[in-house]
Amino acid sequence: MSNFMRKISRRAIVQALIALPALSLFRNQPIVAEPDEIVEINGWILRRSDLA
Amino acid sequence: MIFDSYEAYKQAGFKPKACILGSGPAGTTIARKLGAAGIPVVVLEAGSREFSDESQDFYRGKTVGDYYFDLDITRLRFMGGSSNHWAGWCRVLDKQDFEPKAWAPDTGWPITRADIEPYLGEVHDILELRDFRPDVPVSDDIRWVQLIKSPAVRFGEKFADELDKSKNIAVVLNTYATELAGDGKRVTGAKLWSNGQDAGIFSADYFVTCTGGLENSRLLLWSNQRSNGGVVPNAVALGRYWMEHPTFEGGNAILANYSEFEVDNSNEAFFSPTLAAMERLQILNFGIRLIESPYPSVKKLIADLACTAPSMAEWMSSQLDQRLHCAAQLYVAWEQAPLASNQIELSKVDVDHAGVPRIELHWKKSPLERRTLLEGLRLFGATMAQKNLGRVRIDDWISNGSDYPTTEETAGHHHMGGTRMGTDVLKSVVDANCKVHGMDNLYVGGSSVFCTSGQCNPTTTITALACRLGEHLGKVIAV
Repeated sequence: MSNFMRKISRRAIVQALIALPALSLFRNQPIVAEPDEIVEINGWILRRSDLA
Repeated sequence: MIFDSYEAYKQAGFKPKACILGSGPAGTTIARKLGAAGIPVVVLEAGSREFSDESQDFYRGKTVGDYYFDLDITRLRFMGGSSNHWAGWCRVLDKQDFEPKAWAPDTGWPITRADIEPYLGEVHDILELRDFRPDVPVSDDIRWVQLIKSPAVRFGEKFADELDKSKNIAVVLNTYATELAGDGKRVTGAKLWSNGQDAGIFSADYFVTCTGGLENSRLLLWSNQRSNGGVVPNAVALGRYWMEHPTFEGGNAILANYSEFEVDNSNEAFFSPTLAAMERLQILNFGIRLIESPYPSVKKLIADLACTAPSMAEWMSSQLDQRLHCAAQLYVAWEQAPLASNQIELSKVDVDHAGVPRIELHWKKSPLERRTLLEGLRLFGATMAQKNLGRVRIDDWISNGSDYPTTEETAGHHHMGGTRMGTDVLKSVVDANCKVHGMDNLYVGGSSVFCTSGQCNPTTTITALACRLGEHLGKVIAV
């Protein structure tokens, strides 16, 4: 067992693993569709919100 | 005075200063202006007082390129000219139609709209129009425009009594000027054909050809060929830059409230782009005509919308219960790019009964126009959606780039260009006063002088230009 592993508690390791998903908060947010955006689908000129 | 034959006219001993060829809106208007100024003028009309198959036959011709109407049905050859089948739709070319557009070669006039505006009062009297209301901006991209459907003045009928009683105007029917003779500076005479035979040479100090947007080019091409360039000394552009208003059904619309726009008596409303939108998209002018759809078409349209936007379709359905008039067909007519390759030529194989070569019209719509059609509908659709005024569906053949249908309106029977106005003798035939470049006494009236077509019906602008030319010519002759 390395010095690092000896110094860190099992509890700290578990807490770090639980926190991992929260890192995604620091990644780029996905683009949220603008509801007033004009889209052309099947020949129709629509607002994106029309597609809801 | 109206004479039914050239023989009868000759016996009257009338001495005109000017000779106008053709009695349509341009010819009649110029004659009335000159007559009112006390200048004796003769109008030579190839046809008679009424339609006849024999007269129409002189208009047969051939079209090469895109599908177009038979040339003997797209115009009329009798007193009053093509005003006899005009639908009466009126609007003057937009200010922006006169301006050059960097993205469309060979656009721009040597005059502005302000040059014809002083004559619009007269035009309103002639065409029996009320005042036009200003355009209404619907968005930064789209204008709600007015197109007045007038009583469709038949010039031959409306002004027959006035012309008959006039001491200064002689209208000579059944008299066809087959060619002009010229020496490169002046027209020296017109060769006439009357009652099925040569009728000699006619002379006048001034000549004005007002034979129509196809026939002006034909007459001048043939005259120039016979005179070795003595009638149109700078003939590079002669017959070229011919234009129409292609017209097709472009799609449908469902409107939140059809009464949002004051429709006319035919339940129609008209829309055009702003100059800023044309410039941004690099397209030409266009007119979108909304026509109220019958109820079954509305249901079909909403059913189609339900496949794409169910909640919107559901809302539209609920609207339908309240308002049955909430859908429209969209027809699009657009400005045609002025192209030298769209041109009137003389047939090498076919002549009319007087021996004049018939027309061979070379006409094709350009990629710029195709883009104008698609982007124009997208622009209109986006405005309708953004403003929540309605939703637009573009027809599949436009969206997917298929060929133009051959079963639709095709065009407006609007014949423009061929003797276009300009300052560059290589790209125009007449100057800003409608005088043929290099000639002292030859003028052209009618839509053949148009440099660009705009999107609206040409008769109102033709009449305004004719008032302007009539006034100018009156001053020139009076000197």
